[in-house]
Amino acid sequence: MLETALPLAGVIIGILLVLGPFLATAIRSLLFWDAGGGHLSLQNFNALFQDPRFYQAVGNTLLAGAGATVLSCLLGFALAWIVSRTDLPGRRWFEILNLVPFFLSPYVGAVAWIYLAAPNSGMLQTWLGALGISLDFIRIYSLGGVIWVLALFYTPYVYLFVIAPMRQMDAALEDAARVHGASFWYTLRHVTVPLLMPSLLSGALVVFVTSAGLFDVPLALAATRGIRTMPTEIFQSVQYPSDFGRAAAFGVVVMAATIALAILQRQYLGRRRFETVSGKGYRPRLIRLRWRGRVAALALELVYIGGGVLLPTLAMMMVAFSAIWTGRLNPAALTLRNFDYVIFGYKLTQQAILNSLFLALAGATIGVMLALLQAYYLNRGNAKRPALVDAVLSLPLGIPGIILGLGFLIIAIRTPLYSTLTIILVAYIARFFPFATRTVSGMLLAINPELEQSARASGASWLQCVRFVLMPLLLPAIIAAWLMLFVIFIRELGATILLYAQGTETISVALVLLSEHSSASMAALAVIQIVLLLGAFLLFRLTRVSLVQS
Amino acid sequence: MDAFVKVRDLRKRFGDLAAVDGVSFEVGEGHTLALLGPSGCGKTTILRSIAGLETPEYGSIEIGGRAVFDGASRINLLPEERELGIVFQSYAVWPHMSVADNVGFPLRVRGVAKAERTARVDRILEIVGLSAARDKPAPELSGGQQQRVALARALVHEPRLVLFDEPLSNLDAQLRDQMRLELKVLQDRLRFTAIYVTHDQAEAFALAESVVVMNRGRIETIGSPREVFRRPRTPFVARFLGLNVWPGTLLGPNADGPDGQRYAQVALADGFSLWGVIDDDHAVTAGTPVVACLRKEHMDVRPLAADRPKSAAGFALSEGQTYAGEVRAASFLGLEEELMIVIAGMELRSVRPASGVGTGDAVEVSIRPQDCLIFRATAGRLDE
Repeated sequence: MLETALPLAGVIIGILLVLGPFLATAIRSLLFWDAGGGHLSLQNFNALFQDPRFYQAVGNTLLAGAGATVLSCLLGFALAWIVSRTDLPGRRWFEILNLVPFFLSPYVGAVAWIYLAAPNSGMLQTWLGALGISLDFIRIYSLGGVIWVLALFYTPYVYLFVIAPMRQMDAALEDAARVHGASFWYTLRHVTVPLLMPSLLSGALVVFVTSAGLFDVPLALAATRGIRTMPTEIFQSVQYPSDFGRAAAFGVVVMAATIALAILQRQYLGRRRFETVSGKGYRPRLIRLRWRGRVAALALELVYIGGGVLLPTLAMMMVAFSAIWTGRLNPAALTLRNFDYVIFGYKLTQQAILNSLFLALAGATIGVMLALLQAYYLNRGNAKRPALVDAVLSLPLGIPGIILGLGFLIIAIRTPLYSTLTIILVAYIARFFPFATRTVSGMLLAINPELEQSARASGASWLQCVRFVLMPLLLPAIIAAWLMLFVIFIRELGATILLYAQGTETISVALVLLSEHSSASMAALAVIQIVLLLGAFLLFRLTRVSLVQS
Repeated sequence: MDAFVKVRDLRKRFGDLAAVDGVSFEVGEGHTLALLGPSGCGKTTILRSIAGLETPEYGSIEIGGRAVFDGASRINLLPEERELGIVFQSYAVWPHMSVADNVGFPLRVRGVAKAERTARVDRILEIVGLSAARDKPAPELSGGQQQRVALARALVHEPRLVLFDEPLSNLDAQLRDQMRLELKVLQDRLRFTAIYVTHDQAEAFALAESVVVMNRGRIETIGSPREVFRRPRTPFVARFLGLNVWPGTLLGPNADGPDGQRYAQVALADGFSLWGVIDDDHAVTAGTPVVACLRKEHMDVRPLAADRPKSAAGFALSEGQTYAGEVRAASFLGLEEELMIVIAGMELRSVRPASGVGTGDAVEVSIRPQDCLIFRATAGRLDE
């Protein structure tokens, strides 16, 4: 029967997509070649654990991840609180703007911050130097720089996790503290923050896992100075002279850590389901900021939106519209030539734009279809052990793109799939379908099954029920999931960097290739990518779908 | 009366729980059967099994001469193949469709042409009194209106059987009474066969030709509303219908009363024994544990007169048995008052026209033996 077969097929495909690269990486990590040929051995792990660079990379990764997490939590919590609980003028606009970095490319952000803050030549140095302010203390090529840029891009995750419970929190909980004598700050510390702690910790975990595994930012800001983190170290292992055994062994370590974290998180969430933050009660009232509060709140918003959106975009545009970038904007040398070249004249960038569009359109469509089937299986089918299936299908959420890319590279390397767009497409879907599944699942959970049952009882077949009842009801989640995948695929770099070949470069790969020698073309291509991403963001706003908990 | 729906020995487990444990009943064509019972008694599981939304492990279901489920021959028709209408407690009105689209849905999936569809939708909307809301989006409707949409949707395709799953319990009391009457009028007019699940005895009695009282997956009693109401067959049913239920032991052998019924005397507590009608096919001997049941309305309560004897339990059908008691609590209900009276340590609830008896007052209570029903304690399944 279609009703059981289709959702089951979606789940099986999902499990294969997850387990394939896992198993390939695990098996490859145990294969070692020496004079006697290839055989099973722990040699790769031995070599890895004796290599000081491994420990440096792990240390740097933990440091970068932890720094980014702490900074994102502070920023995300503060920004969410400002827009949801205070009367700051313009908070409706800030509420939207705070989310924009969620849609932008961290790689472009990192490169833009090089333009902004590179030693001696940075735009900020030039502008503020003219005012007599020295910014020599900024070291953008460092772990500090990595943490700063990561935090800018991951703050919206924390923000999204905490803003909904912050809004729905029963104000009586806080009011009771105030009435019984607690000051504002005391209440914040002892009532508000503890109540929101489950959401904040969930957000923090997501930020830690994804930011630590991100390839883009350390590549731009740290690798060039010899500071390697886990993803850049793995990338280096696969470059000539490549050592796949070492890369695979490193990958297995990361996967094991991710699975352990996922189990811990599930146990934690399983225990803390009480959620004092209920939907009932009355809406929190807005806190009236005095002028000092307003200035502080406004300053924080400006620093965040300036650092995350305005300054990087401005920097990229200045470079993109200049004939030659000399570190200073020359109004006489403004030109559209770079765009003309990137779109019409340059084979690499032309192909990259087409490839990225194909991957994003096809990938988002296939990913959403897969997500629908899986969500149906998990929420509607009579699934055996749905929790386990859900856990397996959620694994890629924490797996760094480069690790999954490595897995698919190992699978495809001696097959005709190698160096095709297809393998990149498969890797994209494998890495990101759980985002879509989460979104659709969340919505499906909120739909009363009786809505479908009354359709069946009214005489509709399963397909008719899906078409006339389920799909229309799920449409907001479908659009949200599709747009999210589209955005992710347009800017994706980590999973692509090991899989691309000549002819299958994406926009992000082309940006990396061009960053070495052609900043004008790179900036123009980056601006094109920003336009695509912001277009998706506008669609998001127009369709009024929500990003909650995806 | 020809049985239109036949349910035979239906069984369904959820894990260790036997949600439905061997249930059989029949519904005549054009008749309404009510499945009555507390939550968790299995009534909704039966309804969902009939609709094809739940698959039983065992038994058979036949609708209009067609087997829609048969555990033995592995027949299990899909919900859409059973030609039903259903009204859920949540109404399940599709929020993305207008009223007319909701109601027209069963016709649309059956490929009924647009013109005919419109005509039939308009006709049924008029019957349920929703013509004015025809093009409204579903989320703009009130609870009562959603209820009517669900009802119209369940009837528009003239199904062979309409299923109701607690359709009125989400409405407030006033609207519930009104809808119950309207539903009755609709039934009389359209003569559909229906199965109606509810935990509200008033609804079951008002709407159904026969009532099945369920407890823990099994049928406690089955009969017409009058039969079930007048003569509860088991302690559970008596308790569920709100009677006073007291455990006791049989004092002596049965006696035939002048009215042709059999009577027996029960010791309820020290100094409190009671004559009542014993309704049991088997011989019952002294010392048998029994329960005595008495409707709250079926007793007479007067302020205690000083010169009357304190306790005179005699077997005299005309004047009844009289006991002295004390009012522990009195609640004013408007035209009536409910009293909690203690007689020899036993609690007794009484509902009677308001008379101004107050807490702490000494009263005398008269109970007619023919109003009091005695069962063996093991009759049916007493839960507790």
